[in-house]
Amino acid sequence: MSSATADRRRADPARARERMLVMLALPALLLLGVIFIWPLLRLLSMSVADGTLDQFEKAALDDLYVMVLYESMEIAVLVTVICLALAYPVAAWLAQAGRTGFILGMFFLLLPFWTSILVRTYAWMVLLGRNGVINRTLRDWGWIEFPLPLLHNLTGVLIGIVHVMLPYMVIPIYAALLRIDPDLRRAAEGLGAPAWRAFLRVTLPLSLPGVFAGCALVFVITLGFFITPALLGGGQVMMIAMLIEQQVREFLDWNFAAALATVLLAATLVIYAALAKLTGGQGHGAR
Amino acid sequence: MSIKTTRRAVLGAGLAAATLPLPAIAQSSVPKPDRIVVNASGGAMANLFRRTYNAEFEKRHGIRVVDTSPVDFGKLRAMVESGNVEWSVTELGGQDFVRAKNMNLLEPLDLSIIDLSKYPAAVRDTHAFPSSVYSTVMAYRTDVFRDGSHPKGWAEFWDVRRFPGPRSLRNHPVDNLEFALLADGVEPDKLYPIDIDRALRKMTELRPHISVWWTTGAQPAQLLVDREVVLASGWNGRFYDIAKRGAPVAVEWQGGSAKQNAFGIPRGAPHLHWANQFLQVMTTPELQAVYATELAYPGLHPDTVNFVAEDIKPHLPTTPANLEKQFWLGVDWWTENGQRAQEAWNRWMLRR
Repeated sequence: MSSATADRRRADPARARERMLVMLALPALLLLGVIFIWPLLRLLSMSVADGTLDQFEKAALDDLYVMVLYESMEIAVLVTVICLALAYPVAAWLAQAGRTGFILGMFFLLLPFWTSILVRTYAWMVLLGRNGVINRTLRDWGWIEFPLPLLHNLTGVLIGIVHVMLPYMVIPIYAALLRIDPDLRRAAEGLGAPAWRAFLRVTLPLSLPGVFAGCALVFVITLGFFITPALLGGGQVMMIAMLIEQQVREFLDWNFAAALATVLLAATLVIYAALAKLTGGQGHGAR
Repeated sequence: MSIKTTRRAVLGAGLAAATLPLPAIAQSSVPKPDRIVVNASGGAMANLFRRTYNAEFEKRHGIRVVDTSPVDFGKLRAMVESGNVEWSVTELGGQDFVRAKNMNLLEPLDLSIIDLSKYPAAVRDTHAFPSSVYSTVMAYRTDVFRDGSHPKGWAEFWDVRRFPGPRSLRNHPVDNLEFALLADGVEPDKLYPIDIDRALRKMTELRPHISVWWTTGAQPAQLLVDREVVLASGWNGRFYDIAKRGAPVAVEWQGGSAKQNAFGIPRGAPHLHWANQFLQVMTTPELQAVYATELAYPGLHPDTVNFVAEDIKPHLPTTPANLEKQFWLGVDWWTENGQRAQEAWNRWMLRR
């Protein structure tokens, strides 16, 4: 009996293929388990290490942490919206660009990736300061009388983070646009839809999975930023990761840091799930 | 190839033997590792360390010093608690040495090896080696405040009508709460225990005029150079560095917050004997003088000042004329109340 089952399994090529894929993915999964899941669980368990929920009570009842978490979400939403607005046209252009255009575009898009985030942040300080390149140029041209407040405030933080996050938005949208059969749009236009309606009714809905992936990536990663807001915010902007870092490095209050990290993770997952449900539904409708 | 290697090895051994002083040979009963790891601030400081203390230690004992950075209290704790200590000696940032000692993260110093007998009694400690003094001071642009017309002390720093212009302070309660109280008329010897609410009330007055709350030590100097601000608080060595390179920036010592930097030996550190020997090398006044001349962070050996040139002395926090204008930061108060003060500070920062 058992040998017959084994024979049947071996005979089924689809199952064999599936099994092989699992085997191939196994090393990566194991690595992820050892270097990510396990430490994550340990970190989360630290938040209840004293056997009580006191750490969470402090995080939830202290208006400081609630306010900072709320503000971090606000910044993450702003960054996501700005990135989306900037990234969609770029992705659309890349998707239809020729070979040279594509290589050039990707090069400029990915160039910041090869630069340390600290260097990029300092570079923005040189550009955005009161006597920075931008303000000095505008003043020399006589466009402004007083320097624009571009640095050491929310504007500076948004510019800095959007710059870092842009590729995370462009690439998923680009990938989604590339998968759309161009005949669909041509068909819509052939049936009399103007270009804008063809875009709104055909291209945009079909690219939504990419938009969602990009938004989720940007939102989640932005929530964890701390060095960019610390340097470009000039103290006017506080994000939750800065407070977690403070607890870890300065006060060595790892249990409370773990509680804050858990709250951040939970909030992120909830928002992610809500987003997935929202866009997931629309995606099916379009199909 | 093999001949070359052998020759180099022989040469190296010969050199090492020739430079070994007699006492070191007498101590040869303690097994020698081929290297020890010393953790300290990186950057310009690491270069200087290599040229002074590390070089001297290698010359005296024939043990290579590997330097790592940055100074990281969290990492120190993690190392000690996991029993996997990499550093033989580490610098302890800011006010951390008291906490490190309280949390039992440090080995006691072996005072039969480290000779602190000439050091001032106030800085001698069982676990923390007092390496140098630094101070958080006020700095100003000399082209904005000419001929000594700059604010002298924190009350004048707060006086935005007489001394207009954007300012920068650190985004941290340490020093700032003291500065605010001094500006509010508290006597330097009455600062502790700090009245946090009173200090923050005073900070609120100045808040609209602080255009940048700095986070890293390099920022205030850079902000002054870029004319982003005209007045800033910061670590004296950073201002010394840019002034030396010609920036129109000078320091006012009045109301400066002096404190000592410390080094320690992590509990369970490898090569304990040599860790203590390294700290003993750090007591050498001639080397401390080199350090003071380059960075304006003088060591605490009383003879150090004898090896410093006259024109450098006005830039050192420990020069008597400067020292009497400053106060010593209350390390004990901060160890006890740091977290509470930080939370009050964060909350104040969020209030707009």
